[in-house]
Amino acid sequence: MSEVDLEARIPNNVGLRDNKRLMRALETWQPAFLDWWRGLGPSDFNEDLIYLRTAVGVGKGGWAHYDYVKMPDYRWGIFLAEPSGDQKIHFGDHLGEPVWTEVPGEFRNRLRRLIVTQGDTEPASVEQQRLLGKTAPSLYDLRSLFQVNVEEGRHLWAMVYLLHTYFGKDGREEAEAMLHRHSGDPDNPRILEAFNKPIETWVDFFCFTTFTDRDGKYQLAALAESGFDPLARTTQFMLTEEAYHMQTGENGVGRILHRSAELMREGIDPKSRGAIPLDLMQRYINFWASASMDLFGGEDSTNAAESFAMGLKGRYREGDGIYKDPKALGAEYPLEVPAEDGTMTKKSIPLRRAMNALLLDAYVQDCTRIVSRWNRDLDRLGVDFRIRLPSKRFNRNQGVYAGRPFSPDGDLLTREEWEARKDEWLPSEKDRDYVKSCMKAVYEPGKIANWIAPPHQGVDGKPFEFEYVKFH
Amino acid sequence: MSTRLVYVCEGGDCTEKGSVELFERLRNMLHEWDPEERRIRVRKYPCFGGCEFGINITIWPDRIFYSKVGVEDLPDIVAHIRGGEPVKRLTGAVRPDVEDIIWQMLDSPW
Repeated sequence: MSEVDLEARIPNNVGLRDNKRLMRALETWQPAFLDWWRGLGPSDFNEDLIYLRTAVGVGKGGWAHYDYVKMPDYRWGIFLAEPSGDQKIHFGDHLGEPVWTEVPGEFRNRLRRLIVTQGDTEPASVEQQRLLGKTAPSLYDLRSLFQVNVEEGRHLWAMVYLLHTYFGKDGREEAEAMLHRHSGDPDNPRILEAFNKPIETWVDFFCFTTFTDRDGKYQLAALAESGFDPLARTTQFMLTEEAYHMQTGENGVGRILHRSAELMREGIDPKSRGAIPLDLMQRYINFWASASMDLFGGEDSTNAAESFAMGLKGRYREGDGIYKDPKALGAEYPLEVPAEDGTMTKKSIPLRRAMNALLLDAYVQDCTRIVSRWNRDLDRLGVDFRIRLPSKRFNRNQGVYAGRPFSPDGDLLTREEWEARKDEWLPSEKDRDYVKSCMKAVYEPGKIANWIAPPHQGVDGKPFEFEYVKFH
Repeated sequence: MSTRLVYVCEGGDCTEKGSVELFERLRNMLHEWDPEERRIRVRKYPCFGGCEFGINITIWPDRIFYSKVGVEDLPDIVAHIRGGEPVKRLTGAVRPDVEDIIWQMLDSPW
């Protein structure tokens, strides 16, 4: 693998210095990216100094450093994880063959689609969150938002690198298009629907980073198993950064719950202090968890089966050898689906067609862990309320449960029952207005809004009171 | 699959407690014994959810969940992996339902 080149205009460990044509192509794309960042990235804060983590390599001696930087000056680099293992494809029909270092012609279109779909989500989330800085609950959180934003920008760079390097003219056009589609644009929207809704409040942001970024983790993890080695190694390194984003969400929601529970323990109604009631948090969690489950696609999918068979997209942690059959042949996956008569019926599908369902199962287990952690804190604070993860059937717009009225417990309802009770389960306009009313910026070091508890620890060994953002 | 699997947590809390260094040391110790990873694989894992009791390590299919692991515990853990008894002082810290989440994934029927 190439050395890390931090002095180049585009920091990288992919040998750009020796590939002038690619370097010129990426340097041509760079100004368009910066224009996009200034126009649709975080508003109003581009001249401020932010205490940010910047990726500087992928080795054992540490992969990032922290310093103050203006966001447009952030060093968006291209980094691939070091090669690992035996460099053999470890699942699907090509099991045991050497990994591909070039795109196999017969899989070109499918690979390009996988990369474009993943890549499109990266700038989309930055666009969705662009106004949030104006209502940050603390400087610590403002920094966290920008850390997430710049790293999503770097993930876009990672996907653009793959498109430019391996897909020729088509790839360059796709890279351009990723800057031209915009979240919520009626004429040219982002590819996946969940990325076209603005994230207007920090409750949405923390839920998004908990649940929607976690979908991203599982999609990246599945691509990190790919037989196409550049894609596998690119996504492996993206996962290193993505962990912080999910932790931001998990801890953020936990801190909101903690603050409300503290007030409740003292006999105070959270709303009377501008904090977020726990039942309202449950509705936001129901909304974002179910919207994120949709991103896994249909439970029964021939597309997913083909991507697995081709060795392009594996199961979660496939390379760890935890599955009995790396070809996933001869087994069936049980699904319980709603029948026309309003009952549930069981059916089995070939395991390969259930790859999305398996990935969703792994995601749900991960989310269960998080909810359990939140509830342990509520228990410690002596509050009886418990957060629950909604059923995979609840409020779905994709897959076998799409459009059917299920309760958060997974019980099939009549339309009338759903209409009568949906405001118990999903945020109403009144809920959203209340949450918006709580969002007021707190920019003084060491201070924090009243609806969220401070974090247990700061960033990079610094205390919560550290001046994470210096305004110009 | 006959190869055993060790996961070392690299969640936020465990990383703060030194799990990256611990992972490297454990992997090096086991590679001296099993350089080709024919008997055991050592991998990082994002988070088990036992954050209060980190650093956490799991061994599968043994279903051993070690908590509050420090560098000083590694020789005993390696001895267990090489055929000795589990290190009882490091087990039982996290709740059974937290342990079950990782076993559910690893005991995949597929």
